[in-house]
Amino acid sequence: MNDWLTTILICLPIAGAIVVAIAPLTAYWLGSLAALVSLVEVGFWITSASKFDFGSSSLQSAQNRSWFSDLHVSFHVGEYAFSLWLVGATVVVMAACTIYGWWAGRDRGRAYFALMLLLTGAIVGVFTAQDLLLFYAFFEAMLIPLYVLIGVWGGAERMRATITFVVYTVVGSLLMLTAIIVYGLQQGTFDLTQMGPSNSTWLFLGFVIAFAIKAPLFPFHGWLPITYRESPPEVSAILSGIISKAGLYGLLRIAIAKFPGVAHDWRVVLLVLASISLVYGSLLAFRAPDLRGVVMYSSLAQSGLIVLGLFAFNDLGIDGAVLQMVNHALISTALFLLAGMIERRTSTGQFALLGGMARSRPALATVVMTVGIISLAVPLSTSFAGEFLILAGVFQQGWAWAAIGAGAIVLAAMYMLRWISAILHQDTGPAVPDAALDLRLGELAVIVPLVVCLLGLSAWPNLISSRAVGGNHAKQSIVVEGLRR
Amino acid sequence: MHGPDIQWYVILAALLFSTGALGVMVRRNPLIILLSVEIMLNAANLLLIAFARLHGREDGQIFAISVMAVAASEVVVGLGMIVAMGRRNVELDVDKLRTLRG
Amino acid sequence: MKAAAWICLLLPLASALAITLGGTTVSRRVAGYISTVTTMGSFAAAVVAFVQMLDQSAGHRGHVTTSWTWLAAGPYHFGLSLLVDQLSVVMMLIVAGVSSLIIAYSVGYMDGEAEERRYFAYMSLFVFSMLLLVQSGNLLLLLAGWGMVGLSSYLLIGFHQERPSAVAAAKKAFVMNAFGDATMVLALFLLVQHTGRLDFAGVFAASPHGGAVANLIALGLLGGALAKSAQLPLHTWLPDAMEGPTPVSALIHAATMVTAGVYLIVRCHPLFENAYVIQDLAAGLGAATILMAGLIALVQTDIKRVIAYSTMSQIGYMFVGAGIGAYPNAIFHLMTHAFFKALLFLAAGIAIHAVVGEQDIRKLAGIGKLMPQTRAVFLVGSLALVGIFPFAGFFSKDSILSAALDRGTFGVIVYAAGMVGAFLTGLYTFRLFFIVFTGEPTPFAREHFHRHHGQEGPLSMRWTVGVLAALSLVGGLLQFAPLWHPLSTWLGPIERPLAEPTNWQEWGSSILAIAVGLAGIAVAWAIYAAGRARAPRALPLLERKFYWDELYDLLWYRSGDLVARGFYALVERPLVAGSLSALTAGFGVGSREVGRAQNGLVRSYVLALAGGLAVLAVVFLSVR
Repeated sequence: MNDWLTTILICLPIAGAIVVAIAPLTAYWLGSLAALVSLVEVGFWITSASKFDFGSSSLQSAQNRSWFSDLHVSFHVGEYAFSLWLVGATVVVMAACTIYGWWAGRDRGRAYFALMLLLTGAIVGVFTAQDLLLFYAFFEAMLIPLYVLIGVWGGAERMRATITFVVYTVVGSLLMLTAIIVYGLQQGTFDLTQMGPSNSTWLFLGFVIAFAIKAPLFPFHGWLPITYRESPPEVSAILSGIISKAGLYGLLRIAIAKFPGVAHDWRVVLLVLASISLVYGSLLAFRAPDLRGVVMYSSLAQSGLIVLGLFAFNDLGIDGAVLQMVNHALISTALFLLAGMIERRTSTGQFALLGGMARSRPALATVVMTVGIISLAVPLSTSFAGEFLILAGVFQQGWAWAAIGAGAIVLAAMYMLRWISAILHQDTGPAVPDAALDLRLGELAVIVPLVVCLLGLSAWPNLISSRAVGGNHAKQSIVVEGLRR
Repeated sequence: MHGPDIQWYVILAALLFSTGALGVMVRRNPLIILLSVEIMLNAANLLLIAFARLHGREDGQIFAISVMAVAASEVVVGLGMIVAMGRRNVELDVDKLRTLRG
Repeated sequence: MKAAAWICLLLPLASALAITLGGTTVSRRVAGYISTVTTMGSFAAAVVAFVQMLDQSAGHRGHVTTSWTWLAAGPYHFGLSLLVDQLSVVMMLIVAGVSSLIIAYSVGYMDGEAEERRYFAYMSLFVFSMLLLVQSGNLLLLLAGWGMVGLSSYLLIGFHQERPSAVAAAKKAFVMNAFGDATMVLALFLLVQHTGRLDFAGVFAASPHGGAVANLIALGLLGGALAKSAQLPLHTWLPDAMEGPTPVSALIHAATMVTAGVYLIVRCHPLFENAYVIQDLAAGLGAATILMAGLIALVQTDIKRVIAYSTMSQIGYMFVGAGIGAYPNAIFHLMTHAFFKALLFLAAGIAIHAVVGEQDIRKLAGIGKLMPQTRAVFLVGSLALVGIFPFAGFFSKDSILSAALDRGTFGVIVYAAGMVGAFLTGLYTFRLFFIVFTGEPTPFAREHFHRHHGQEGPLSMRWTVGVLAALSLVGGLLQFAPLWHPLSTWLGPIERPLAEPTNWQEWGSSILAIAVGLAGIAVAWAIYAAGRARAPRALPLLERKFYWDELYDLLWYRSGDLVARGFYALVERPLVAGSLSALTAGFGVGSREVGRAQNGLVRSYVLALAGGLAVLAVVFLSVR
């Protein structure tokens, strides 16, 4: 049973997608079926987490079936500690977004819910695949549902947005495919747990560029503004919450673990890019004129911060990075869903037209304030814990990085407070109708669990930070060592 | 082997082929181009039979008959199209027939 | 005792959660009562802890209790641990005690306010955060409390959400405090790197002595302290913070939050003693703030702003005390200041509440005639502030000043600044008193003054102010160094002071201080009450508060805005728009060029065929 857990986590949503695609039900029932499947998925993840042994650093819940035996490609899936947490974030976020889509009502429901479930399966596959070609297959499989979701249910410029997104991603993926093929043929196998390290700079760069486009990192973030603005809010949440984590996960699992020497040589370059993303994203978030603009540029900044943590190459940095990945997944999902809820009521996201929504809407005010404050990393919140670990870790590589990070803390305070104020405070904006309701039960059912998860993590971030990389001995190389097994 | 040596056949075939090729490249009337293509095909047939005779095997002759069959079918199609174009008073000039451009 | 400490900490949190989750099922009055009762419960728990501590011997009074490991990575572990020792129990008593009085006052002050529940939830959250700060057993948890008091301050300053000035003031306070947080966090990173831990005992034992690292650590902590306590140069947020309701100003911006910086320096004094340059810097900045704030207070026309600048000035005294190493004296002044400053704010609040929320002293002038009780308590508070015997401020402020004499030349300079500050204190405090509480009431005051059921204010406001007045009267008698000093003895084991004035210095300085204070009062009386002299024209320098606001606006906000705009125009737009359209344009051009080969001419296709064939033939022949 244990062996099958990971495969179930991947295949259950895909099976659900097929059922949704063919079942003769109305959109409402299809939506409830999709919501049910995503909640069952969360249940399976909880089972998997409870069975996980955090004391060992080896692959768990693993299943290995040969696929192309002459090329040594296999269907090899399993979970490490950090993949477990990322899968957890994925299933929670996807459940929230699917339920939001159901509650909000999307036309062509059958296609919509089938695609959402398919996306769930593909993303879980990315985080658990232990074979490089399988990883690539799932990586690309994420694109197809996203292409359709943005292209059909998006905003006014959705076609441009989705084509931009796909072109950018595919360019990176092609580089990655080349690197995968060369690397796999060199090593004689495509199984990540058996491949040895390589010293090739070109292979490293091929992987890094693909992941940097996904994460995104400056200067590969050209697809960010238009795609996030034109997607439906739950898809933006998925993009910034989990798809970006797929890129960051790839950096950790493949780029750093398999190319330790090259990663060390290129460390400074990546730290510089990460720092630029952090500062650049924060400054642009400070100037952004709309709800989504602030959140998406803050996403860019957080990606930079996580990469800072990853390339600190020590326990503090990597544990912090994993914690922050989970934090940011939950936070940005909550922020984008809130933005979506506000846009539904006011049909705009522009700050100039919003304001004063706190009046007679206590639930909305409390939730916006809580999520906003956690997002700006007020001390004692889980995002503060993640940032503290990351910056403490990268401080040991050089004080300048941590100083930049500390400066970014101040910037984060500025732009998130601006976000909160623009929604809640001062005079009621011209676009806010007096009849705009407070958060309804369905919306609360989606947001409150996310907030509860965040508050729970704030009380006990150690849940993730000391269990980010399995194993009891904690030295710098264990991260690389542990990943190799 | 009776008759001229193989090199004469090769030279003749080469001359025929180049005539045909030149005709295809230079002439503008589709009918003449079709004629030139036929000349090229016959040149190839000649070579096939000559070498078959040289090696004493029938493979070349059989292949030549297949070529003739294919040539006949293709001429039927081609002439049919040219006659149809003529009936519709389309100008028979390949330089003017450019509808299938990229 | 550990249980008492946890109860003291968690009661206000429970109150905040109850009020928030209760929503509209909790009536506004009840929200106020919940908040008041739980805070009083906290105070009771603090008293219990204190009494239990009395039983223990002097050297064994510190106890650390940890609930669970909050954060761990590799060999580093940071737990949720509380430290209950002599210093923290003193702070717990002050914080919980003064908070419960002020929250009780708020029940009357905020009565009828539409968002009363939100107010009391935030106040409870603040008390929890402040208690967390003073009870924390490691620097990470202290930083957590630090950040959360900043958060509560933001929520409470911006309480009147419809007012743009309030919202802006709240953001300004938070951002300046965030800057202090950032410097503190850098100090923490240094500590983690050099000592591997953040709990107080471990850090004090293992941190480096002297050298650049020690200086940077102390400097980072000092940055946080300056921001939180509104000292030079991170002081500009405090006057604007007066946008919050008056009890908020009393609690957060006078009695407790702004004194957190002093607590930090006193608690971490081993780290500061390792970097004595920074410690001297703290004293120097404190002295400079005493003078600057005192000068600005002379020209303010808003009653709360005068008191705010006075707070800034008095905290300068505390920084001087901590900076020269007179730790018990600094804490003593912290305590007495909490009493009389809260008293002044709350008394001012009664006046403001009675005159439809007016805060301009020119309009409130002469209200004392209509409110004699308020005038009496305000006089008590003012005398305590100026430091006249036997009111509280005299004992505490003078102990700091006389300790300065024990510190060489630097100490004498600081002492002189403190004396000038005492004069200014007398001057501006009694300027306020004479203008507002003596003389004939203005027509505005007469017209808008209203009594509350025949009294000057609601009962909850009056009894709490009365308690504070009593404390301001007798609180100082706790310690008078030449004769009796229980506080120094109590704190002694953990806070060994660096400066001990001699009896002669103590007596002499006290007399001089009283004289200087009386001189200030006399000048104020001459100008504002008796009209014997004319007030000099206010300098623009003072009125513009030494142009600090303008400087910061230029330096940080405008430059940041410019950089952000520059990034957007020069980098983002070309990058985003540019890269994609370059890509598509490139493809378009490429495909068009290649498409030119498909021209529909049979003969060109044939030519291509022939050419290709020729090339292949050549290659084939040459390779063979």
